[in-house]
Amino acid sequence: MKAVSLKGTKNGYELVLDEAASFTDSIAELTDLLAKLDHDYPTKRMHLDIITGNRLLNDAQRDEIHRLFANYKHLLINGISSNVITIAEAKRIRESENVHVIYQTIRNGQEFTVTGDVLFLGTIHEGGKLVTSGNIYVLGSVHGVIQAGAPNSEDKFIVGDLHTAQQIRIGEQFDIVADKQIKGSFQNVAYVNNLHILDYGKIGELKQINPKFYNRIGGVQ
Amino acid sequence: MGRAIVVTSGKGGVGKTTTTANLGVSLALMGKKVCLMDLDIGLRNLDVILGLDNRIIYDIVDVASGEAKLRQALVKDKRFDSLYVLPAAQTTNKDSLTPEQVKTIVDELQQEFDYVFIDCPAGIEQGFLNAIAGADGAIVVTTPEISAVRDADRVIGLLEQHPLDDQPKLVINRIRKNMMDNGDTMDIDEITQHLGIELLGIVVDDDAVIRTSNHGEPIVMDPDNQASQGYRNIARRINGETVPLMQIDDTKESKQSFWSKLGNLFSKKD
Ligand SMILES: Nc1ncnc2c1ncn2[C@@H]1O[C@H](COP(=O)(O)OP(=O)(O)OP(=O)(O)O)[C@@H](O)[C@H]1O
Ligand SMILES: [Mg+2]
Repeated sequence: MKAVSLKGTKNGYELVLDEAASFTDSIAELTDLLAKLDHDYPTKRMHLDIITGNRLLNDAQRDEIHRLFANYKHLLINGISSNVITIAEAKRIRESENVHVIYQTIRNGQEFTVTGDVLFLGTIHEGGKLVTSGNIYVLGSVHGVIQAGAPNSEDKFIVGDLHTAQQIRIGEQFDIVADKQIKGSFQNVAYVNNLHILDYGKIGELKQINPKFYNRIGGVQ
Repeated sequence: MGRAIVVTSGKGGVGKTTTTANLGVSLALMGKKVCLMDLDIGLRNLDVILGLDNRIIYDIVDVASGEAKLRQALVKDKRFDSLYVLPAAQTTNKDSLTPEQVKTIVDELQQEFDYVFIDCPAGIEQGFLNAIAGADGAIVVTTPEISAVRDADRVIGLLEQHPLDDQPKLVINRIRKNMMDNGDTMDIDEITQHLGIELLGIVVDDDAVIRTSNHGEPIVMDPDNQASQGYRNIARRINGETVPLMQIDDTKESKQSFWSKLGNLFSKKD
């Protein structure tokens, strides 16, 4: 079994580092392989996808591969990819896809920051701030600032009664609630429309407002 | 071991020092040993409204720096043998105390006194952190004004981040019954509910408070005054008695709440 194998694909070339081989062997073979490619095709520009299978390379190992390629101007790395991720990365992903249930009073001057979607059952006082990267479903009461899609995702929304809030923010768009007529209803959806303006609708209109989300939660076409 | 209670508010001028002095005197009247610590460094007041400013030799910074013994710096009240004040320094250096130094002093005072009250400066900076450092509990003072309630909310949030042994308790000071009845200020229930902490007591607004403070004679010395009774009730609750909330005379017929009145102001007539 070779530690490194080169394959042609539709989009270029794949360089597969066998996950069972030792990294030292892989580097040794890769060194030879690159020298051979350079010798056989000294001017041919090649873009290679490096695939590491069920092995995760650390930064030093990645650097080593990049250094090998740096010797050849015409041999280029498209990317290094793997089938696996670290536990930390997995946690981050899970965190950002979780719905966080928050049942707490966010007081004046406090800022509560979360990643992912939020089911908010607490109270935001005047001067308090709830900030998340995802969507927010409000069942509690909001008298402060509420932000979905932080820092700049406009495809997020906030469902719930927001008429007592100070500010509603989604991505980079915001509304000063006192300057608007926002109806007090738990059926409301705040979202960013095609003109990049905060807009308000009803839960029943979610399909038109955000088709992607509607499909994800299993809305019937 | 006595209890150390910090009197704080966020907003300035809502009555922290007045509350500290009057609770101290009330508890001394009840026979308790009480020490009042002034942590408003640079803006010493507590000694003035107790009429003790002429008796100060050393202050809290002298004690913290080791220049004076705690015993030497304590000023005995002229009315009660069981009431003492530890004065603030008049320096302008706000970093002249650390939380650890304050905690050491509070711990020492707790050995000897039934109650140690800590008069906190306005604001939420170092002075606030110093003042809460040695405390077992906190009294948050507010007036019915929105800005004071907002600042109380801010301070309660900070106290939740630096939790003391006991939950903070609320005192609503300077209540003006006619304004509350007219819905011009939030009422007692609205404030208490909004802030979500236990109400320890209420004190009416009364010119006599200012007048007596100006003479270095706290209002609680007058048993018939309504503000005095408010402070005395609070002192009894702190001491573990159950005292019903005082009624500020009659209630008007159609009382409209502050919020519904605000709502009327803003709602559109169509
Ligand atoms: N119940 C009351 N009725 C009338 N006046 C009051 C009452 N309580 C306090 N005052 C007056 O309000 C003013 C401010 O009170 P005080 O100095 O106790 O506030 P403070 O919160 O300690 O202020 P600072 O933040 O400056 O330390 C004083 O003039 C005081 O006499
Ligand atoms: Mg004061």
